[in-house]
Amino acid sequence: MKRIVVVSQDPLLTTLADRLLSPHFRTLVLGGMVSAVDSIYNDIPDLVIAEIAPGDGGMGESINTLKEDPMFNQLPILAVIGDRPPAAFWEGLLVEDYLLKADLERDLLARVRLALSRAERVVEINPLTRLPGNISINRQLEDRLSRGEVFAFAYADLDFFKPFNDKYGFSRGDEVIKVTGRLILNFVKSMQPRGSFVGHIGGDDFVFIMDAGLIEGACGEIIRAFDQIIPTLYDQEDRDKGGVESVSRQGVAGFFPFIGISIGVTDTAGRGFSHFGELTGAASEMKHFAKKAKGSSYSMDRRTGQAT
Amino acid sequence: MERIDIRTQRAKLENINALPTAPGTFKRISQVIGKPGITLSEISEFVSKDPALTTKVLKMINSAIYGFPGRISSVSHAIMLLGLNVVKGLLLGISVFEIMQQLMGGLWDHSVGCAAVARAIAEKKGIKDPEEVSVAGLLHDIGKVIMVMEYAPLYEEAINQAASRRVPIFDAEREVFQETHAVVGMWLAEKWRFPPNLVDVIQYHHRPGLTKKAPLETAIVHFSDLLVRARGFGFSGDSLVPAVHPPSFELLALSEDDILEVLDKLEACRDEEGGLTL
Repeated sequence: MKRIVVVSQDPLLTTLADRLLSPHFRTLVLGGMVSAVDSIYNDIPDLVIAEIAPGDGGMGESINTLKEDPMFNQLPILAVIGDRPPAAFWEGLLVEDYLLKADLERDLLARVRLALSRAERVVEINPLTRLPGNISINRQLEDRLSRGEVFAFAYADLDFFKPFNDKYGFSRGDEVIKVTGRLILNFVKSMQPRGSFVGHIGGDDFVFIMDAGLIEGACGEIIRAFDQIIPTLYDQEDRDKGGVESVSRQGVAGFFPFIGISIGVTDTAGRGFSHFGELTGAASEMKHFAKKAKGSSYSMDRRTGQAT
Repeated sequence: MERIDIRTQRAKLENINALPTAPGTFKRISQVIGKPGITLSEISEFVSKDPALTTKVLKMINSAIYGFPGRISSVSHAIMLLGLNVVKGLLLGISVFEIMQQLMGGLWDHSVGCAAVARAIAEKKGIKDPEEVSVAGLLHDIGKVIMVMEYAPLYEEAINQAASRRVPIFDAEREVFQETHAVVGMWLAEKWRFPPNLVDVIQYHHRPGLTKKAPLETAIVHFSDLLVRARGFGFSGDSLVPAVHPPSFELLALSEDDILEVLDKLEACRDEEGGLTL
C-alpha cells in the first residue's frame, strides 16, 4: 500500500484528506514540517501533501531543502493552497502539483493518483547513486558551452576498485560506489550550493561541474574524506594490512592497497572548447595524470589556448 | 515489588525511532545549526558529544535509504555522507527528555565521560579510528535510556533496589525486567542497523569475554565504564564500581601512567561539559 504524508494545521483539511485517502493509502497526518521532515527521513513516503498558507515562507523553504537532496528529489509534493496565488508564488518552489482547498473534496483522490503514477515513470538517474546519468551530463555540458559559460569540469574514477569488488563481491563494491557518489555530491554542494552539478556516468566514473575558483578546494576535501572513509569499508583484517590480496584488471594476482580516487580537472577559461567531447577528453587526460600518482590525487589542466 | 518481563516487549521497543536529548543540548541545537557558515567538522564535534544526536545520525546513514547499512560507525563520516541539509533536518526533529531529568542528566554525563576515556585509551592503543571507539563509549548505555523512557517508575524501582541492597544496577535490572540494559540496547542497535562491532560493544560491555567481533573495543569500553564510575563522574544507576574483567585488563595492558593520563582527559571533559546536560 502506498504511503502518503499530509502536512497541515487545518483540522478541516486533515480530516477531509484522511477520510478520502485512508481507504486507499496508508495516510499519516502531521501538524508541521519539522515533524514531517523527521518522519520522511525515517521512512520515505510515496507522496507528500502539504498545505502552504499565504505568507508561510517557512513551509516552502522546508520543502525546497528536502527536495534539493537527490535522495528525496523524486518524492512528489502536492501543495494545497487557499486561493489562487500570484504567478511569482510558484517560482523556485519545488512542488509537483497544487490543489485549491475548495476543490479538495472533488479532486483530491484523482490528483493523488496522478501524482503517484507520474512519479513511477522513468527518470534518467543512476539507480545506485540516484545521480543524473549520461543524458543529463551531456546536456549540462552542451548548454553551458553554448551559453559560453566559464566553468571547471572534473572527471573522477577509482583506483584498485576491481580487486576490492572481486574479493568482497559486487554488493560491497556497490557500497563503495554509493559512498563515493554521496561524498562528491555533499562536498560539491556544500562548497557551491548554486550552479554546480554532479553526475554519475556509470561504474566507478563520476563527473562534476563547479566554478573554476572552487573546484580545487572541493577536490582536496573529497579526497581527504574518501581516504578516511574507504578503509572502514574493508574487513578488519584487510584494514589492518592496508589492502587486499586479489586480482587486478589485467588479471594479475597480488596485493592491492586501499581504493583511491583520481580526479582530472579542466576548465573552459582560456581554452576554446567547441564541443563537449573535447572537454571530457581533456578532463579524462588529466585524470590519467592523476592516476599515475600513488594514492588518491587530482590533477589540474593548466594549459591554455585552443584545444586540439 | 512490581516486575515485568521486558523480553515480551521487544517488538514494541523496536518501534522507537529516536532518543530524547538533554535540555542543555536541546537549547543549543538551533544556535548551532543557525550559525552562518558552520562547517561539517563543527557539527560533528557538537553531535559526537550527545548520545541522542549521535544515535540519530548513525541510524540515518546506516538506514536502507543510503544503501550501505551497518557500515558507518563514526559521527564525522556519517555527517560527511549525509550532508549539511539532512543533518540539520535531523537535529531539528529531536525532542528533549522531560521525565527523570536528574537521572538522565547523570546518565548523559556518564556517557560523555565514557566516550572521552574510551577515545583516550583507543589513541593509546594506536587504534586506527579512535572515533569509532569513542562512539561506542558514548552509546554503550542506550539501553538504559530506552528503559527509563518507557518504564520510568519501574526503572526507579530498580535504582532503589540497587541502592538499598547494594547490588549493581545490572543485577537489579534483571530482577525487575528479567533482562538488562545491555540486551535492550543491543535490540535497538540491531534494529537501527548499527555496525556489528558497535552492537557487540553495547551488548557485551559488562561481559567483555563474550564478544566475538570486537574484543579490543569492548574491553576498552568496559574499562572506561569502570574508570568513569570510579571517578564519580555522572551517574549510571548505582554507586558501585564493578570488578574489572581480568582478561580485558590484560588485553589492554595499560601502565599506571597510561591510566593517569587517561583520567586527565576525563577531568578536562568535566571542566568543558559543564552546561551541556541540564
